Amino acid sequence: MHLFPIVEFMGIRFDLSAIIAIVVTSIIVLVLARLSVRNLSVENPSKMQNFMEWIIEFVHSTIASTMPFEKAKKFVSLGMTIIVFIFVGNLLGLPFQIVTEATTEIEWLGITQAVLDSHDGHAHIAWWKSPTADLSVTAGLALVVFIIVHSLGLKWNKKHYLKHYFEPYPIFFPINLIETLAKPLTLALRLYANILAGEILITTILMLGGWGVPFMMVWQGFSIFVGAIQAFLFTILTMVYISQAAVHEDDPALSH
Amino acid sequence: MDIVMSSTLITIIAFLLLLWLLNKYAFGPLFGVMEKRRELIKEQMNAAETSRNAAEASMAEQKAALDEARKEAYAILEQARATSSKQADEIVTSAKNEAARLKDEALKDIESEKNKAISALRTEVGGISVQIASKIIEKQVDEKSQEEIVNKYLKEVGSK
Repeated sequence: MHLFPIVEFMGIRFDLSAIIAIVVTSIIVLVLARLSVRNLSVENPSKMQNFMEWIIEFVHSTIASTMPFEKAKKFVSLGMTIIVFIFVGNLLGLPFQIVTEATTEIEWLGITQAVLDSHDGHAHIAWWKSPTADLSVTAGLALVVFIIVHSLGLKWNKKHYLKHYFEPYPIFFPINLIETLAKPLTLALRLYANILAGEILITTILMLGGWGVPFMMVWQGFSIFVGAIQAFLFTILTMVYISQAAVHEDDPALSH
Repeated sequence: MDIVMSSTLITIIAFLLLLWLLNKYAFGPLFGVMEKRRELIKEQMNAAETSRNAAEASMAEQKAALDEARKEAYAILEQARATSSKQADEIVTSAKNEAARLKDEALKDIESEKNKAISALRTEVGGISVQIASKIIEKQVDEKSQEEIVNKYLKEVGSK
């Protein structure tokens, strides 16, 4: 298992590889988005614009059933950002790895003699990974969703939102609380575990050497699929939570 | 795997920043374009509907005009046919009348010629008879009284 370059600065620990991954992912997403809207056209959209619009339609269709377009617009933006960011992040760790080997102590990277000893004197430091293969990052994303969902619930229909913690009976409060907390937790863990598993298997296949090429091809392909599925899942769950927060009491078909 | 809190915080900041940037520079304009296209399509559909109605109306109009023209042509044809047959009848009638008139005139001429010939013959016969009688009777009668007598006899003969 690789180590990650963690430095301490002003008493706070910073994971350099995660920061690199986040920044790179953000830049790629931004560049992609800018490229796709470079030559916006009403009548003759470019391929990139078409693709972007297709994603928008797709994300919109996941919440359109519960919300009119004007109201849903900003959530479409949110869903778009989530799906593109996570998808790009999921793919980031696939094509290559950057690993440095440390055989001596590197104080500022947190490679102490004790760490070296536990790795037989060869500490492998991974600089490049998917941001979503880090629980801290996925937890951050899940936290954003969690805050948005609950603030929306409080803002839109406070009474119903507060009441649903005590339904069907007040004694169910702890269970409802667990359910509420489990949502972002599963959101973060599901994404993290899927992508991390992919990267671990890639590392393992690399150990096979030349024999691993066909396995690598298959697994890389499958990882792209998994990355797309996880991005889709994260987005659609976010949208479901948001639409649940928007449920009104006078709408018995949607309340739960 | 240990959790690095700073990564979480950086993720949140980066994500919100990305959301804001994308919203401002990418999705905002894209939404605008999509909205514009929706309006354009609506407009074009309305225009198509309008032009379809107009086409239908002008089609009906043309059809009516065509029907009318056909009716008119039929009427003109009928009229022409009637006129021609009437004219033909007229020509035939006038020809017939002309022929009858010519025939009558010819008959009249023949009659008058005949009468003339008869009267001339009568005069001739009278002269000849006077000569014959004067020769036969050898009595000198003046020609006038002789002619009266002959005419008298000839009338008697003619009425027989």
